[in-house]
Amino acid sequence: MKQKKICLLGGFAVGKTSLVRRLVSGLFSEKYLTTIGVKIDQKMVTIHDHSLLLVLWDLYGDDDYQKVRASYLQGSSGYILVIDGTRPETIDVAIRLHQTARQVVGTVPYVLLLNKHDLAEDWKVDPATLGELSRQACLVAKVSAKTGDGVESAFSALAEAMLNGS
Amino acid sequence: MASSSRTPSGSRPTEFTARQADDFSALRRLLLAPEQVQLDRLRDRLENFSLRPQEVSQVLPDAIRLRAQQDNRLLASMIPITQEALALSIKQSPQLISDSIAPILGPAIRKAISRAMREMLQSLNQTLEYSMSWQGLQWRWEAWKTGKSFAEVVLVHTLRFRVEQVFLIHKRTGLLLNHIMAEGVSGQGEEVISAMLTAIQDFVRDSFQQSQEEGLESLRIGDLTVWVEQGPSAILAAVIRGAPPVKLRDVLQGTIESIHAQYSDALRSFQGDASAFLDTRLLLEDCLQAQFVKKPGGLPFSVWVLAALLLGLLGWWGYHAALQHQQWTRLLNRIEAEPGMVITSIREEAGNTVFLGLRDPLAVDPQMLLEETGYAPATVTFRLEPFLALTPEMIYRRALLILQPPETVSVSLEGSQLILAGHGSHAWISAVRERSLRIPGIVSVNMERLIDTDLERFETVRHMLEEESLNFFPGQMTLQEHELAKIEQIKQTVQQLDDMAKVLEIRPSIHVIGYSSPEGSESTNTALSALRAKYVWQLLDPLGLRMISLEAIGRGVDPAALASSPKEGQSYDSSRRVYFEVERLPVSGERGGE
Ligand SMILES: Nc1nc2c(ncn2[C@@H]2O[C@H](COP(=O)(O)OP(=O)(O)OP(=O)(O)O)[C@@H](O)[C@H]2O)c(=O)[nH]1
Ligand SMILES: [Mg+2]
Repeated sequence: MKQKKICLLGGFAVGKTSLVRRLVSGLFSEKYLTTIGVKIDQKMVTIHDHSLLLVLWDLYGDDDYQKVRASYLQGSSGYILVIDGTRPETIDVAIRLHQTARQVVGTVPYVLLLNKHDLAEDWKVDPATLGELSRQACLVAKVSAKTGDGVESAFSALAEAMLNGS
Repeated sequence: MASSSRTPSGSRPTEFTARQADDFSALRRLLLAPEQVQLDRLRDRLENFSLRPQEVSQVLPDAIRLRAQQDNRLLASMIPITQEALALSIKQSPQLISDSIAPILGPAIRKAISRAMREMLQSLNQTLEYSMSWQGLQWRWEAWKTGKSFAEVVLVHTLRFRVEQVFLIHKRTGLLLNHIMAEGVSGQGEEVISAMLTAIQDFVRDSFQQSQEEGLESLRIGDLTVWVEQGPSAILAAVIRGAPPVKLRDVLQGTIESIHAQYSDALRSFQGDASAFLDTRLLLEDCLQAQFVKKPGGLPFSVWVLAALLLGLLGWWGYHAALQHQQWTRLLNRIEAEPGMVITSIREEAGNTVFLGLRDPLAVDPQMLLEETGYAPATVTFRLEPFLALTPEMIYRRALLILQPPETVSVSLEGSQLILAGHGSHAWISAVRERSLRIPGIVSVNMERLIDTDLERFETVRHMLEEESLNFFPGQMTLQEHELAKIEQIKQTVQQLDDMAKVLEIRPSIHVIGYSSPEGSESTNTALSALRAKYVWQLLDPLGLRMISLEAIGRGVDPAALASSPKEGQSYDSSRRVYFEVERLPVSGERGGE
């Protein structure tokens, strides 16, 4: 059985922890408990009859006070960039984190997730404006940790890309 | 050489003669003689191949060493050859290979087995030791109170330290390469723990700006300590309960070094597939060390308990075996001594002991003997045919049963003679002889000392009657008032005698005898005595006696009065009387002795 390290990257409160929780335990909570440091979870996925253990590093949200440490990214076989679809300012954070990731782990597959898709009336991000960030991603998807929309398939897509890469 | 000599002759053919050529050659020899030798040698070395291996052989060891120092390309190119050679060698002479690896494999296997044995013994020993002591009871109470398992409580109290889990973690990715646990430890989420440990490492390193080679060495979580040993590409994390000794560090260090030495390629090229590290288990198991608090004093409590138990068991068994043996012999002796029982054989039948033989119906119930001797009755059965035993004891027993002697009669046996003594009723005595002679084994009966109580009483009453006398006034033939009063008592006595005669089956006759005094004429006296007897006889007659016949007899003058002449003042009052004589005809049963 193979294992792969995956990091969840994005600004604060974009829903990284919620996405992992939705994936791992199928639950969601409106309550916001900010992540301090790292929270690690695991998820077993099956890609083309191969089982793959994803070790998910849910990092704290990057903000002006606390930049994500490069060392946490080390050894990742892929990463997930999360943007809050109701907060366009989280795009810049994602771009910055993407650059950091490239420096630390090189060109490994990543997926770009526009979260909180369920909040349609507050939606402010147009995927077309994401440019470079979305072109290199192996998947760009609007997802919702609240409803679970697109969450599982996003992780599967990344898992598959990682298997093909290695 | 040939072409070089042709070139000048080709350029100037006319000036070159044979002599000139000779001279030139001589000159050249003079000028180049030493170099020529060298050239010849060189040509020889180039053309003669057999010389080269010799030369190579001189530099080969150094060459290999130098090359190996540079990089491992030589090693890489040698691997397939070596592997093939090895495979071929195994195929051709397997014995050789097995002989050479046996010294390595043997100890390794022994070590593995002894480790497994040690673990098993240790856990057994601990459970034994603490499940049977006062301490153990206390801990059981604690376990019950706190809801922990007993094993856990024992561990907490007796453990100096124990390495419970060992994680081998890939440093860069934080992914788990291998993980082992001590006996009885349950792990979960090792992958997450592995990543978490790495994250903590990263955090600490970043926060305190340490180099990659350094990092957290130890952390504590409750009563668990995690010791981390860093290697260049992997880390070893040991989860330890209790206080580990410093030398455990050396073990961890040695282990991570060995792993790096043996798995450097796999570590470098690790892409998430940990299967290449399965074999590290052997190395990691060295880290699963433990140390328990030793009990003061030589042998552990459990050994004492076991020994005591064993001794007790042995004693119990021995006691029972002895008891059983004793019961068995007692049973045999008892049966042997028991009259009326003959055992002809003893047989084992499906775990049962079967006694075969003969038993007099009057002999004791064999089941009673079993109970008496205490020999397990369920496993013993008796199959005894009935028979008549003629042992004195059985004859005696049978006599008692048949004769039913009253308590006042004693029965004894002398040879084949039955001796009866004491008091018995007439009815019992009259039947006893005949019945005795019907008892098998009895030939004669001695009844000399047997007293017929009914006859005895008859004699007593008879005596009473014979003492009575009724006195008459001179010349009178009827009784005065006060003498007549006695007649009621006499009637009762006679009636009694009649009743007893019935029991004794005798027909006695009572003679009512009349006397007169010597006064008066003899003929008158004779008539008077007869009349007096007749008078009393008539008084008794209404009794209606069944067995007794009454006879009135007149005897004339009382002979006693005639014998001694009356003295002065003495009267003949006692001579004028009627008295009784009882004549008892021989009783049918009263035959006396033999
Ligand atoms: N409506 C809606 N709310 C969401 C969704 N995902 C997350 N949230 C909410 O957003 C808030 C933040 O979510 P988290 O998952 O904690 O965000 P995070 O990225 O882990 O935050 P940090 O750990 O602080 O960086 C919570 O109140 C969640 O309930 C979503 O898909 N839809
Ligand atoms: Mg979070």
